[in-house]
Amino acid sequence: MNATHLLKRLVGTLPLLLGVSLLLFGVLHLAPGGPLDVYADNPSVSPEALAQMRTAFGLDQPLPVQYVSWVTAFFTGEWGYSIRTARPVTQEIVERIGPTLILGGTAFVLSLLIALPLGIVSAVRRYSGIDYLITFLSFLGVSMPVFWLALMLQLLFAVQWRVLPSAGIQTIGSDSVLDLIHHLILPACILAFASVAGWSRYMRSSMVEVLGQDYVRTARAKGLTTGRVVIHHALRNALIPIITVVALDFATILSGAVITETIFAWPGIGRLFIESMNGRDYPVLMALMMAGSLALILSNLLADLAYAAVDPRIRYE
Amino acid sequence: MTRNTRTPHSASRNALRAAIASFILLGGMAAAQQRGGTLTVGLGYDIDTLNVYSTGFLGDVQAAVVEGLVAPDAKASYVPVLATQVPTVRNGGIKIAADGKSMVVTYRLRPGVKWSDGVPMTSADVKFTWETVKNPKFIAESKDGSEDIASIDTPNATTVVVNYKRVAPDFMSTLFTFGIFPKHTLEGKDLNTDTYNEKPLGTGPFMVKEFRRGQYVILERNPYYWRKDSKGVQLPYLDGMVFKIIPDSNTLVTQLRTGEVQMAYGVPYSQVTQLDGVPGLRIVKNSVLSWQHLDFNLKTIDAFKDPNVRKAFAYAINKSAISKALGGYPTPINTVVVPVFSYTNPAVPKYDYNLARAQQLLDAAGWKVGADGIRVKDGKRMSFKIMAQAGRSTDEDAEQVIIASLKQAGIELQPDNKSGVAFRDARYKGNYDLFYGGWITSADPTYSVFYGSKGVNNGQGYASGKIDTLLDRAESTLDPVQRTAALRDFQTELMTDLPSIPVTSNPSMIAITEKLGGFVPNPTNMTNFVNSSGWYLNK
Amino acid sequence: MSDAAIPSTRRRTADTPWRLFRRRFLRHRLAVTGLVMLCVLALLALLAPHLAPYAFDGQDLEIMGQPQPPSRAHLMGTDQLGRDAFTRVLYGARVSLAVGLASALLSTLLGTLVGSLAGYYRSAVDSVLMRLTDVVLCIPLLPLVILLSGMLRPNVTLLVAIIGILGWMGTARLVRGQFLSLREREFVEASRALGGSNNRIMFRHILPNALGPIIVATTLAVGSGIMLESALSFLGLGVQPPTPTWGNLLNYASQWLQNAPWLALFPGLMILITVLSVNFLGDGLRDALDPRS
Repeated sequence: MNATHLLKRLVGTLPLLLGVSLLLFGVLHLAPGGPLDVYADNPSVSPEALAQMRTAFGLDQPLPVQYVSWVTAFFTGEWGYSIRTARPVTQEIVERIGPTLILGGTAFVLSLLIALPLGIVSAVRRYSGIDYLITFLSFLGVSMPVFWLALMLQLLFAVQWRVLPSAGIQTIGSDSVLDLIHHLILPACILAFASVAGWSRYMRSSMVEVLGQDYVRTARAKGLTTGRVVIHHALRNALIPIITVVALDFATILSGAVITETIFAWPGIGRLFIESMNGRDYPVLMALMMAGSLALILSNLLADLAYAAVDPRIRYE
Repeated sequence: MTRNTRTPHSASRNALRAAIASFILLGGMAAAQQRGGTLTVGLGYDIDTLNVYSTGFLGDVQAAVVEGLVAPDAKASYVPVLATQVPTVRNGGIKIAADGKSMVVTYRLRPGVKWSDGVPMTSADVKFTWETVKNPKFIAESKDGSEDIASIDTPNATTVVVNYKRVAPDFMSTLFTFGIFPKHTLEGKDLNTDTYNEKPLGTGPFMVKEFRRGQYVILERNPYYWRKDSKGVQLPYLDGMVFKIIPDSNTLVTQLRTGEVQMAYGVPYSQVTQLDGVPGLRIVKNSVLSWQHLDFNLKTIDAFKDPNVRKAFAYAINKSAISKALGGYPTPINTVVVPVFSYTNPAVPKYDYNLARAQQLLDAAGWKVGADGIRVKDGKRMSFKIMAQAGRSTDEDAEQVIIASLKQAGIELQPDNKSGVAFRDARYKGNYDLFYGGWITSADPTYSVFYGSKGVNNGQGYASGKIDTLLDRAESTLDPVQRTAALRDFQTELMTDLPSIPVTSNPSMIAITEKLGGFVPNPTNMTNFVNSSGWYLNK
Repeated sequence: MSDAAIPSTRRRTADTPWRLFRRRFLRHRLAVTGLVMLCVLALLALLAPHLAPYAFDGQDLEIMGQPQPPSRAHLMGTDQLGRDAFTRVLYGARVSLAVGLASALLSTLLGTLVGSLAGYYRSAVDSVLMRLTDVVLCIPLLPLVILLSGMLRPNVTLLVAIIGILGWMGTARLVRGQFLSLREREFVEASRALGGSNNRIMFRHILPNALGPIIVATTLAVGSGIMLESALSFLGLGVQPPTPTWGNLLNYASQWLQNAPWLALFPGLMILITVLSVNFLGDGLRDALDPRS
């Protein structure tokens, strides 16, 4: 891999971004009522003021013109103003991104730390009791509605046992990391739950495949213990296909936070999204969807690069 | 406190802005008040802005920070705040022009009032407030009343003379009751983007220490607050208040149970029963100036143009079942004027649950029961869409009882619930067949906004010459006797014509810690927080 | 996979693909259990009007106002409006399973169509369709579904459409891959030589051979459709009551968790059992249909 390839890949994302923006632009204009609908019911906003805003937002232009100016604005960082709060969209998002990254990042690391060992154990002890148990649990994980699990755990840990706070990101007035971690435990575990299930399955099948290969058999034949074989020979190769899955899922975890953040009053992007939905705050919604897509595209790219870095067989020209 | 929607519940935004809140009379309070302590309040919505004129919500936090010239009290009558008295014709505060077409209102301001930064508040601030709100560049939710004013004179620092273009008996429910802007920090600023929206400067008992979006607002004592209690103790008693933003109603109730939050209002009725036994909490029922109603769309649905069909609907709805389904907290009502007001009319035509009567009326109107049990007339099935606010479980429950009730009479209703701006939008524009929800009024209600043929909240398209005349009479006189007579006749006429069926009262349930003293609920809307200077926490 | 696709003359030989599949599938205990569970659930849903002791929207004025615990008259208790919870769970099965199934079929149909066209025609068609697939894949799914449901306030049909239309991309990629490899095989060459039309080759010859992975993907999509419906219900954007779905029953029950946990238990269990069964079934099918194993 080299700089040319990186550049090539980066350029390759541009048409994707344009496609996404075109699609989202279409979706938002499908909606009943335009962005100024919010004000239409307000008798205090005179028709003149409405017309003025229409011009200011460029809504009097034909759709293609609106699209072009919107895309240009987006790529130059001009994301406009929130209809709900009248503040710059960038500011709204920047304020909320931190908590979401903390929550999503923790959940991500947590999932990895749990899922990979589970998958490995499952693969090494294939068709044993523990394999079946892990398999069953992972299926349980993907089969449970997140909000249901969240409410149950909240009830148990916060109301019944009183060991964890029920919601929020920190005790008000406290800025300690310990306090943050305390608040992070429940939402992060719940967010991690679904991905643990999926990833451990992937890890299992990947490991099973690697363990069946000749070089592993050779290593075993040489008399190495299972532990050594797994750690020194199989793991690296088994991890390669996992990287793609995991990297792609990072964006999914972030978007999955919509529900978790609502339940746990977590002041992140997911909540902002729901608030903006209710307020029909199109500038914020557009920006969030675009940013979300950008994150997905980037994680795609990262997966690709990581793939190349881990697998010596892959060479890009 | 709905899960998904943050707009004030089913309320006419414009009307409820008017009813900021009241001040309790501090003199009569028990002697146990202690200074100190912080009250943690759970809010069920995400605050958009702390500017009282541009927020899309009720303005709970704002009510503790910003004050108006007058405010409605716990009985929905106005008491002076920054003014020394409530202007009336009798005390000379209101002078009606000789031609009876305009009026002049004079306020005398309380001397010695300071903004929480220590700068004195004067008549110039009042005038500045009007100019700012009126400015078309300022995108506000509430500009009511600003167009009624021709000019404002400020002969000295404590006198404000407001020249109205018309006789506006509801003038107190608008502009200066919402709050006053500080001229010295806002002059020349763009209020749409100013930091005032995060840290409003007011004259109220508290000031904003920190506002973290999506998380909380911390209020602390305003050291310059002008009010003292009867013993001369500087108010407020509380050191501060914390408003925590918790959008999920289940989580909010959980936080009440764990004590992480000490107060929340608008607790869904279903959750109230579950909080009843929680030690340390008490439940207060606040009979807000609000009523639940079922509106017919008279613009687009031909079937509803027949008054007998509307009456049949009224007879078919089992109001006491709705009350029972909601835990008995809301009670059946017969008119749109809530009982707090002296001019409520107990002698309006009533439509008590009577299924046989409903069926009779529908049969007579030509709606015959079809093969599937649903009535048919001229090949059209009696099937409509009913809209309520999605995510507001109380309204959705009541809606389902209505659906079941009407099914008995051979009427099919399909729910078409909406939330947020989409809901408000449909309500204002009449994009529904039937609408079930609640209106809330100010302490000085103007019913023409709902039932006047040009009313802003008249999305249903109701137009009646008789109603317009009666409301016009009620809303252009300052004489209480005339006003009462006109409003009583209005109710009789409205209930005879029945464009809207009043269903139940709409009490707001408040859960508070037993330690909180001095709390009196305010019915004018849900911002109980202007009362907060007299609140205290027992240790 | 239907028997009819296999010429009957080959039935007698020891290992027809069907027998092989059946043997492998039956070995997968969890998958068989899943299949049985799903059949039972589907039967319950179909027979709901006959099995349910009450009307799904029938309210009992006597016990209204407070949910009642399970009793002989009401096996799963009643909700706040005095409605029988068992009846509502049964009827909820109809809507939830229908939403899951219909949206899965829709997304499979779309995905198969896009995938086959791209894989068969390659070149320009392929790159246009796959670019489109990439673009849609780049938009985070859950927020997009929420956005659309919020804007359109769906009824059941629209909900199925939204979930189905946004879920075809995986299938499309999968089918395209299958087509790319299958179109070079001898039997395709043969039918082309015999003058078979493109449509005929695509849908009569190639598609049946690519069915395995498609079936697995469809099965799994049923589960995610049900999960999405319940997530939307939680946000108040799903199917509106009084029509019951497991999702909106669960959402409704969440406010009663303290006093009436039984209301949440049963719909929650139903979702769990269904999605679990679907996943087991998918897993079993994958194993049984995988030619490599």
